[in-house]
Order: sequence, then structure tokens, then C-alpha cells
Amino acid sequence: MNEAAVDITGLVKSYPGSESPAVAGIDLRVKAGAFFGLLGPNGAGKTTLISMMCGLLRPDAGSLRMAGMDIAARPNEVKQRIGVVPQDIALYPTLTARENLAYFGGMLGLSGARLRERVNWALETARLAQYAGVRVEVLSGGLKRRLSLVIGFIHEPEILLLDEPTVGIDPHSRLFIYESLRAMNAAGMTIIYTSHYMEEVEGLCREIAIIDQGRIIARGSLDDILAGGAGTGAVEIRSGEALPDGTLERITRLPGVRDVERSGKLLRLASDSPMDALPGVLALLRRDGVKVLSLSHGAANLEEVFLTLTGRGLRE
Amino acid sequence: MANWTNLHKLAASVSKEARQITRDREALLLLFAMPLLFVLIMSLAMRDAFREKGGVVLPIIVVDNDRSTVGSSIVDAFSALPAFKVDTAIEGGATDERSVRADVASGKHKFAVIIPEGTDKNARRRIQRQLRFVKGGTDGAPEIRLLADPAMRFDYRNLASTNLNRALQAIENRLLWEEFAALAGMKMTPERRQAAKEILTGNRPFAEVSAEDAAALGRKEAMPTAVQQSVPSWSLFGVFFLVIPLSVAFTKERQAGCLQRLRSMPTPLWVVMAGKAVSYFIINQIQFALMILMGIYAVPLLGGDRFAFGHAPLAVAMMSVAVSLAAVNYGLAAAAYCKTAEQATTFGGASVLIFGALGGIMVPKFLMPPVMQRLSAVSPMSWGLDGYLNIFVRNGTVRDILPQFAGLVCFAVISAAIAALKLRNIQK
Repeated sequence: MNEAAVDITGLVKSYPGSESPAVAGIDLRVKAGAFFGLLGPNGAGKTTLISMMCGLLRPDAGSLRMAGMDIAARPNEVKQRIGVVPQDIALYPTLTARENLAYFGGMLGLSGARLRERVNWALETARLAQYAGVRVEVLSGGLKRRLSLVIGFIHEPEILLLDEPTVGIDPHSRLFIYESLRAMNAAGMTIIYTSHYMEEVEGLCREIAIIDQGRIIARGSLDDILAGGAGTGAVEIRSGEALPDGTLERITRLPGVRDVERSGKLLRLASDSPMDALPGVLALLRRDGVKVLSLSHGAANLEEVFLTLTGRGLRE
Repeated sequence: MANWTNLHKLAASVSKEARQITRDREALLLLFAMPLLFVLIMSLAMRDAFREKGGVVLPIIVVDNDRSTVGSSIVDAFSALPAFKVDTAIEGGATDERSVRADVASGKHKFAVIIPEGTDKNARRRIQRQLRFVKGGTDGAPEIRLLADPAMRFDYRNLASTNLNRALQAIENRLLWEEFAALAGMKMTPERRQAAKEILTGNRPFAEVSAEDAAALGRKEAMPTAVQQSVPSWSLFGVFFLVIPLSVAFTKERQAGCLQRLRSMPTPLWVVMAGKAVSYFIINQIQFALMILMGIYAVPLLGGDRFAFGHAPLAVAMMSVAVSLAAVNYGLAAAAYCKTAEQATTFGGASVLIFGALGGIMVPKFLMPPVMQRLSAVSPMSWGLDGYLNIFVRNGTVRDILPQFAGLVCFAVISAAIAALKLRNIQK
């Protein structure tokens, strides 16, 4: 389980007419069996990276090995060992759920009894058995997503690449997708999951890379990344009365305080070291006659980490 | 092993395409009902235009203001021709020029011959003067006029005026005979008059002229009837019309992300393309067979001519294959360059109409001016039509269709290469 499922070095990809490259020199190594999150805002280069990983795009420079094989040298063997769940639903609307599964299963090299067995398994796994004979065009968006998802792993790939697979679906289907992916990962499948929804990545992935403007700007385990961004942790102080003149300015000058925001009787501190800065802040408030009603310290989340790293929000 | 796997994938692709097509009612109508209707309608509508003896009957009115043998001779002459139905008065019995002109202008009668008073007397006077070697004699003579429906085709106008002139020539000849007989002191008995009339009314030249087809290998069985022209013409149009459903289906598939998904799978691009090509090729062959059957069985039931399949089934099969390959691969190329279904519909429809118009489907090439005839060489439908007409009308064999067959296959190969190059670089 220690060998790399994905091994990327110096990967570059530019589109004609674009001023900056979509992928600008990415190095990335993902261990086999990982549940890896690729987080970034729209246009960060996630889809381009995934497209190169599944052989849809040829890199301008760099090397890309999937499941231990160079995709440029052995594209079909790599494609046989990976599964892809694209951003689009990517189904044939006039075919039934079963026909879609059978067709794509066939294109993935399954045939005969094995194909029939895997189609039935996929229908059961996606809880679509009762819709097996229904044309996809009449299924709901959530059911279509489930079908699209199981097509990605009907052939039991070693690595599953998912490009924002939960866009525009209901919470029930989203939950189903999360459960399925956890189960697949628990069974040993390496999962690369891209999203610009930080909650998804936080909830699913044990390892994360944050990508922005074609570069990886942070990577590691979820705990490492959040810990690395601990400085962004915010301290919120609710006071009984409005702050006297000058108090806010004096707090800003205290050691360890990076920034202060006031919203009515709520004071929000950004600190590189909240535990060190807090005693001084509380002493100053007491001295200025400000009664503290409540105090809370929230750990940083990915949104805040991203904000700190790029100066922009994930959804901008 | 890999080849067998790809063949298995190809079979799955063909099966998938077949399912999709058979579930698309609009595409089926476009692929089958439209060309079949065209074959039926055009075979029947153009039937008479192609018939040797002319199934067209043109109503003509002869207004005889002279009330002489000239009028009756003209009536007899036109009555003897199957292309004309002769009346001597319009509905209601009127024979005045104003009413007759209005009748012809409205298209009720296609032609009117107006014989002025004094025509017979004037003709005899002229002949008598000519026999005395006196020049002139026609000054101030009343004119026989032929009025035509303004919508009448030029060739039918020529037909009417040529027959009128022939009738007048016959009358003049008869009058000359009578004068010669009088000069010779021969008594014109009623029997002699009748014999002279019969001889001259027929007005046949000393040698019969008949046209025959310069068919290949001296065979004469095939006739250039409407159905012989319409079946291949509209079959070609129908076969090429699949560019629209094919390119629309393909662009929709791309827009939905299916092509992208397929390309992330271990399936070569040629399998995806061939899956479509084979499916639509089969549809083309079914279309063509149905249109041939329509020509053989349905058109005669509705009064049209029966389609003659000819004597070169291998040549027909070769042309059918080549036309299908050209149409299918052109459809794939169009699909590769169109980004939306709307673009595919517009581009596919317009290009097929242009190919059809240039290729002689809508307007026969022989009716086009020389520049347009040369321009028609750019249309693959023109090559297809030439090939089919070589078989069905000119009684050609495999050798006679080889240039067209080769042209269509080259067109198919180039179109397939264009489609493959474009699709290889398409992201979505």
C-alpha cells in the first residue's frame, strides 16, 4: 500500500490563446489506497489535471504515472486500471439504466457473464435495481448521478478519479455518493476527488492538495493542513457593551494580534498565536471597563486556510 | 486478443447506436418517411414529363371564323395527336376572341388557334398566283394566331406551333394538288378528294424517323422514365440526409460528456467512430432497398411506371456501398466540426441541400447552364447520381460506374480522416 498510485512530476499544460498555463508545474504523489482531495476554486486547473490523469489531455511537459505506468507510453493499460466519473452526467438519455451500464461496461472491456454480473452489482450498489429498465431521460438528477458514479467503478479499477461528482444534486444522493466512495476506499481503491466544496473534502479525504492558478499551494493530511493554518484560527469575544474609543486600536497593537474586526458587540481577532495573545486582550478589556460575556476559539477550516494562502475565497 | 476485444466493443457500439436510432421517432421519420415520400411523389409527378408518347393532354380550342376546310383540317390535325384535346368553343359556347383569350389566360384551355375570316379564300388566291409565277399575294392576308396560356412551358408552346405549322403545310399541299389536278383537266371526284386528304393529313415524310436510346451494350430494355430517375435521385438525397441525425446525435453525445467518458476508457477512437458509421451504413442500405421496392411495387400501384432494376446488381451494390460510405463519413466530419446540435442541423441540412441542388437531384443537370454543369462536379451527390443513372438508365455495368465509385470512396476516406483528426483533439 506504500507504492504510489499517482506519481506526477513537473506537469505543465497550456491551452492555445491562454496567457497563463492551466497547470503550471505540478508535482504530486498519491499513495495507493489513499482518499485524496484536490481542492481549488473554479478555474484552478483541477479538471485539466484530472483530464491528463485519465489520458484525455496530453501534457506539454512533465511525467505522469498512474498505477505504476507511464500514461503516455501505455495509455490503454492505464485506462483499464482507472475509473473516471466526469463532471457531466455523461449518460445516453434514450438508453435504460441497464443498457447504459452494459454499454460502458463493454467499452471498459467487460463481456459475457462477467459483464452481466457487474451490471447487476452496479444496479444494486447504486440502488437502481427498480429503475434498471427505465430510460435515463426520465430519471431524476440524483439517480442519474448515482448511475454515472457506478459506471466509474463497474470494472473495479485500482484508481477512481472523480471530477466534482456532486454538482447540482440533492442531499440524499450526495450522501449516497459519499457512502459509496468510503466503501470503495475501504476496499482498497485509491480515490482522487476534486471539488470546490471544502465541506466535502474535509468530510471525505484524509489527504488533500490545494490547487490554485495551476499550482499546488498546500498539501498534506487534513490535520496537517488545518494545523498549518492554525494561525488563521479566530477568537470571538462577545462584550456586554460597545467598546470605548481607542480600545480597538490598542488591541491591534498587542503582541500576537494580526487583525481585529468589530461587528456591534462582537469582536473577532485573527492571531498567529491565539493562546498567547488572549491574556493580554482580556486584560486590556478589563482595564477599559468592558465586560466579557462569552469567548470562543474556532479551529481553522479549509476555507480559512485557502483564504490565508491565496487572499481569495474558494467560491470566488 | 486485443482485436477480438475491439470487435466486441464495436458490436456493442453498433447495438447501442441501433437502440438510440430506433427510439428516436423524429430521426426515423427523417431517415425513412421523407425520402420514401419523395420517391413516390416525384416518380408520379414527373411521370408524364418522361413518357415517350406524352401522357400530358393539352386542351386546345380552334376558333374557326372562316368556316372553311382550313378550320376543319386544323381540327382534324390536332385531334389526331394524343397530346391535344380539341374543342371548337369554350364553356358556354362562346367563340368571340375576347372570351377565348380570357379562357386561355385563365388556363382552362392551354392554347387557342384563331382562324380569321377569308383564310381559305386567301390561301387559294395565293396558290393560283404562285402557279402563274406571280410573286407576292400575301400582303394584307389575315393571320392565323396561336394564343398560349402564360404559364405554358416553352417546349409545349413549340409542340403546338410546330403541329399547327405542319397542319397548314398539309392544307397548302392539298390545295396545290387540287389546282394541279384542275390544270391537268383531272376531275376531283369525292374518292380522289378523300384519298388526297388521307395522304396529306398524315403528312409523313418519305422516311420514318425514330429516336432510340444509346444504351450500353446495345440493350434497350431500360427506359428513362420518371421512376428510373427519381428512385436513384431521391435515394441519394435520403442517404445523404442522414448527415443531420448523425451529426445531431454525435454533438449531443459530446455535449453530454459521453464522448469524453468513452475517451477515458480503453476504447480506441476508431471503435467509437466505426460504431456510428456501421450503424448508419446499415440504415442507408435499408433506406435504399426500401426505395427500390417503392419504385418496383408502390409507384405502379398509384399509376406510375415500374422501376426497372437493370442487369448489374453488383454495380448497384458497389454504388450503394460507396454512396453510404461517403454520406456517413461526411456526417462524422460535420459532427466533429459542429459544437452544438443547432449548428449540426443547420450546417448538415444546408450542405445536403447544396450538394443536392448542385448534384442534379432537384434540377436535372442537363437543364443547367454549362457553368453550373461544370460546378456540379464538386458534389458527391452528382457522382452518385451519374453512377446510378449509368446503371438504371444507360444500362451500364461495373466498368461504367468505376470513376464514380472511386470518387465516392475517396470522398469517404478524406471525410473520415478529417473527422478523426478533429475528434482526436476535441476535449468535449
